[in-house]
Amino acid sequence: MGKGSRVWKITGVVSVAATLMLVCGFAYAVSDVIFPVPPDTGSAGLENAASDERQVAPGNMDVTAVGDSLAKGTGDDTGSGFARAVSELLQKQGVDSKLVNNLGINGLTTSGVLPMLDEDGVQYALRQAGVIILSIGANDLFAGADQMTGLPDEDQLLNKMKQAEERFVKIVEEIRKINSEAQLVYVMLYNPFSDLEEVREQGNRIVQEWNQFAAAVMASTGQGLAIPTSDLFTFNAGRYLAEDHFHPNRDGYQAIAERIVQALAVTTVSGEERK
Amino acid sequence: MRALNNQIMGLVQNETEKMIKKKRFYVVLLVLLVLVPVFSYAQMKQAESKREKYGTDWRREVQQAITDNQNSLGSDRVPEEWKKYRQVYIQQMKYYLEHNVNPAAPGGVTFTREFLDNAATLFIPLLIMGLGSDIVSAERTTGTIKMLLTRPVRRWKILLSKLITLLMFVSLTVLAVFVICYLISGMFFGYKGFQLPVFTGFRLDGASVDLSSVHAVPQWKYLFMQAGLVWYVGVVVAILALMVSVLVRSTAASIIIMMSSLIAGNILTNMASAWTSAKYLFMVNLGLTDYLAGTPVPIEGMSLGFSLIVLGIWAACSLIVSFLVFTKQDILN
Repeated sequence: MGKGSRVWKITGVVSVAATLMLVCGFAYAVSDVIFPVPPDTGSAGLENAASDERQVAPGNMDVTAVGDSLAKGTGDDTGSGFARAVSELLQKQGVDSKLVNNLGINGLTTSGVLPMLDEDGVQYALRQAGVIILSIGANDLFAGADQMTGLPDEDQLLNKMKQAEERFVKIVEEIRKINSEAQLVYVMLYNPFSDLEEVREQGNRIVQEWNQFAAAVMASTGQGLAIPTSDLFTFNAGRYLAEDHFHPNRDGYQAIAERIVQALAVTTVSGEERK
Repeated sequence: MRALNNQIMGLVQNETEKMIKKKRFYVVLLVLLVLVPVFSYAQMKQAESKREKYGTDWRREVQQAITDNQNSLGSDRVPEEWKKYRQVYIQQMKYYLEHNVNPAAPGGVTFTREFLDNAATLFIPLLIMGLGSDIVSAERTTGTIKMLLTRPVRRWKILLSKLITLLMFVSLTVLAVFVICYLISGMFFGYKGFQLPVFTGFRLDGASVDLSSVHAVPQWKYLFMQAGLVWYVGVVVAILALMVSVLVRSTAASIIIMMSSLIAGNILTNMASAWTSAKYLFMVNLGLTDYLAGTPVPIEGMSLGFSLIVLGIWAACSLIVSFLVFTKQDILN
């Protein structure tokens, strides 16, 4: 009986103590969920580290991509898009580079980017980068258009383009405010309908006009670059476009990435200027 | 009154010793001692591969999770219910980023918290069911029920003592899960993290999150609340297991009944619930810790209060049935 009663005593005492504790936890949880304590405004202690110290080190070549499905890499079967490809190409050249974040979102328009730039996480990712790749505008101009319906009528389009241009200027300004050091690369538009005769002409005109405007904006921005892509797809749409006839495929993204890397100001790990 | 207390105490002691002799609780501990290292190891591997990509920079990881979820929102192939989960998740993660709090700072405490969130609806109820399912039926299978009932003790006292014993072991099981989880995962991730803040109080209205009552609690308090809610679930499951054990003669059958209803609950909560009256089933309401974490409810109209009441009613009914049947039924065989 001696041993049995000792086990019983231990079990009894521990289980009663555990039960009391658990009942308290239960009561506390119920009251906290059903009658939550109003948030303590004085608990700003959490936030003081938010204004992040780390400025971009000179020579930092880490990549953040922001924008639409092209930034995301839609159509690339490996999922890398040009953002990861740029970072990998830089690594091959002996440059220390990583992909910070790929913030591309399918279907994003210029009006979708602006509120994004207010978010802490997005700002953080942009601040960490030495190379920011922006791809935006295609969804503003070609939204709702596909191979079947063609493009909307001219006046409507010009109007749309005016508004998109204003927002584009604002986007570039915002990004510059967040990170003034990084090289800002804008991937210019191409005409996704170049393999369709009926709409090729109109598409070309719109793309040309937009690209001219964007190139001017980037030229007047410090550390700004505008990378042309439309020539890649003029005769090689079959080679560079994915099955959806809209997004680039793996080779298309690789070709764009190579152009970006060619245009970037690069310093090697040792800090020497490249020849 | 004192005599009655003593009698019941004696019976409880007897039942406790039987429970320990049956070694069922040791099995529970053994299961935990084997499984928790397995989960910890898997989690560590996952954390390692993440660290390769993101270093110690959790902000980038959280931001990427937000972007990935935003991308899936645009897809028509993603069911609407999932989109709701993801929209809520996106808003919560943004809140964490805004307040510069890592939602999953690595550590033994964080592991325990996340493990408990996942274990609350199936793993822990299964353990408790394992303890309770044969508490009456085993006596029938072995024939000892006759000996028990021929003693000069009222039948309801016998059942009460079994119930009390079972509840004691529910508390011990919940406690053991927390302690073992923390001690073992601490070996992998370190023992720190009790003071790290966790946000709770996200109120959901469809897919939008009301942030007005969100507040930070230190992780130890969160664990404390979690334990309490898990304990309530455990008590309800134990009471249901007791009833099944009274009603069904064979232990195997009672285990199968309990197990299948628990698993059915998990399946039901994962299904698109157009069948709203399913919310009155007990097994759909076991995810009490979800209310703490602010994950969307499986069926529209559920809340913590609702779930507590539904579970309470189920428990009360099964207690009544258990006692009525146990005191009235004939013992044949």
